[in-house]
Amino acid sequence: MKLGPITLPWGGGDSHKNDPYWDFFINTPPVDLENSAVEMMRRAPEGNVFPTKSELHTPEITSSHVKELGLYLGADVIGIARLEAGGDHDYPYGVITLVKADYDTREANGIGGQVPTQNALYVTFVLSAWMRELGYRATAVEDPDAEKLAAAANLGTLNAKGRLVTPQFGPRVHVGRVIRTDLPLAADG
Amino acid sequence: MAVTLEKGSESLSGGNGAQPLHFYRTIPPVPDLGRSVRVVGEVENVDMNQSPHPRNGRGELGKALFNLQHNTISKDPFIRVSAPNHFADRRHFLTNVVNQASKGQTNSRRVEVTDAEAMTRHIKAVAKHMGADIVSIAPAHPNIMYAGNRYVQDGTAEDAHEADTPEDLVRKFPYLIFVTTAWPYETLQAHRHHIGDSSYHVSQMKGNMILKAIEGYVKELGYTALRGVANPQGTALASGVGELGRNGLVISEKFGARVHMPDPIMTDLPLVPDKPIDIGVSDFCGVCRKCAVTCPTNSITFADKEKEKAPLSRDVSGFGEYNGIEKFKINWLTCYKLRPYTHEYWSSCLTCAAICPFTKPDKWWHTAAISWLKSTPIPARPLVVKTLKAIDDKFWGTIKQKRVQWLGYDSGIKPGEQACTVAGCTADHGAASKPVAGDVGYYFPLKENTNRFVKRD
Repeated sequence: MKLGPITLPWGGGDSHKNDPYWDFFINTPPVDLENSAVEMMRRAPEGNVFPTKSELHTPEITSSHVKELGLYLGADVIGIARLEAGGDHDYPYGVITLVKADYDTREANGIGGQVPTQNALYVTFVLSAWMRELGYRATAVEDPDAEKLAAAANLGTLNAKGRLVTPQFGPRVHVGRVIRTDLPLAADG
Repeated sequence: MAVTLEKGSESLSGGNGAQPLHFYRTIPPVPDLGRSVRVVGEVENVDMNQSPHPRNGRGELGKALFNLQHNTISKDPFIRVSAPNHFADRRHFLTNVVNQASKGQTNSRRVEVTDAEAMTRHIKAVAKHMGADIVSIAPAHPNIMYAGNRYVQDGTAEDAHEADTPEDLVRKFPYLIFVTTAWPYETLQAHRHHIGDSSYHVSQMKGNMILKAIEGYVKELGYTALRGVANPQGTALASGVGELGRNGLVISEKFGARVHMPDPIMTDLPLVPDKPIDIGVSDFCGVCRKCAVTCPTNSITFADKEKEKAPLSRDVSGFGEYNGIEKFKINWLTCYKLRPYTHEYWSSCLTCAAICPFTKPDKWWHTAAISWLKSTPIPARPLVVKTLKAIDDKFWGTIKQKRVQWLGYDSGIKPGEQACTVAGCTADHGAASKPVAGDVGYYFPLKENTNRFVKRD
């Protein structure tokens, strides 16, 4: 919001309304998916677990380090949920990454609309690779229950449509891949 | 939507028929690179295959450096996912993934650009939206282009323009999009330490990803995007990112020397280029020698710009003309050769960037100091510089020794010693662990240790 020479830190809304190309950036999906950095990271294979385990501190401190690194890499909110035993995997913990989303990543399919996906993939790629280099199993997966896990980790609540609503960004949030790991952590919530 | 899509002609992907809107009528004889760098003679385009990393890859810089860069797995888990060439598994390094991804096609349905200024604003907004800290547009010029084979990270350019000369490329693609990220200030304070490495490498990986995404977006707009063609520092100077300092780094207005210089995107997308800026770096570096004093390898010159100007050869530092360009030049060889001796402690030195008085948090007092210097007439600037440098020496010190703790790392622990300084940690770390007190950071190696093997000229 502008009042003459003074810019106020609230209001404003969409500041791109004078940009004739912004809608193309946000909503037009790439013709060639090879042009999408999101696709490059999505398809990247995971590497091996480092053969020697690193010396760790207590699970609470390891958790704080996982979160510290996640935020340093650009996550806006990060939490740890305990995963149900059984099912298709045997990982005890899931690390959930939230990134502020100006546009809904399920609807805005342009390179711009997918920027939150890009940022979340960057975080989960590096964070899960680091956990494997610490000598523990870690895999970043698209989890259909990611929003439920985020709610279980006290990152927000689910609304009537089952979508995550966070105290920081409301529903304008993208839930990244869930990093399933056996790194000794302490779950939130 | 105000964008009109028109079916492009066959020649678009080949780049021969389509003419950018603001085309050079004539290429100026020398590029405008600002006050810190002047083109004064014949410039021979630099072949990237003769630059340090490719030379080392061919073993031309000795066994120690070759083995460091090609046969060394870091002991540190975070370095193994963030630093080039020290990984245990190359799939864990994001830049490998991004750079080796196969190349997308240029969209044949081009978005027509009628207003180059609107497109310039758009590309800058796009870069900022993706998380870039600086974005600028340079007019391409043959003097800031590479010669020889293209320096593309995966080894192949694979496009129709591989055989083009620098002049050909500048005529076809008149703009360079320069996008970069800044290194976080707090972790940079622990330079010559794995904490400082994280500052450098995390922002570098992020910048590479953003550039790849913008490269893809330019192609989706229907225009050519070439990588590995232009010198990043030349592009940054021509587009007003900053000025070249005594330490051989481009010093920016907002972030000082803590900015990456990644590979720019060359394009025919119609844009309006930026101009070089004057933030007083050349006045400051004429007086200040903090980087030269602290450089562990004495690779940075102490030379006086006025009195000791002399033509330079490849492996020396100094102020003067080298390859037709007058500037401060560092001795890259001694800078590079320290690495094998230190890789257990750090992988990126960063001393000259951390100590530089321009490298500060992006706060109002930093902006105010730069504005003061900028608004002073050039002849009066040395006095302002002396004042600002005295303030810098007094409050930020002449040696960076701040203790930094990050992710369980602690620069208060002396190199070679072991300690756990994480508050509240009850884990058993064995008998080697000692308590650490004080606020001093220890950064390996100390200058007195390196003076033995790299004597000053």
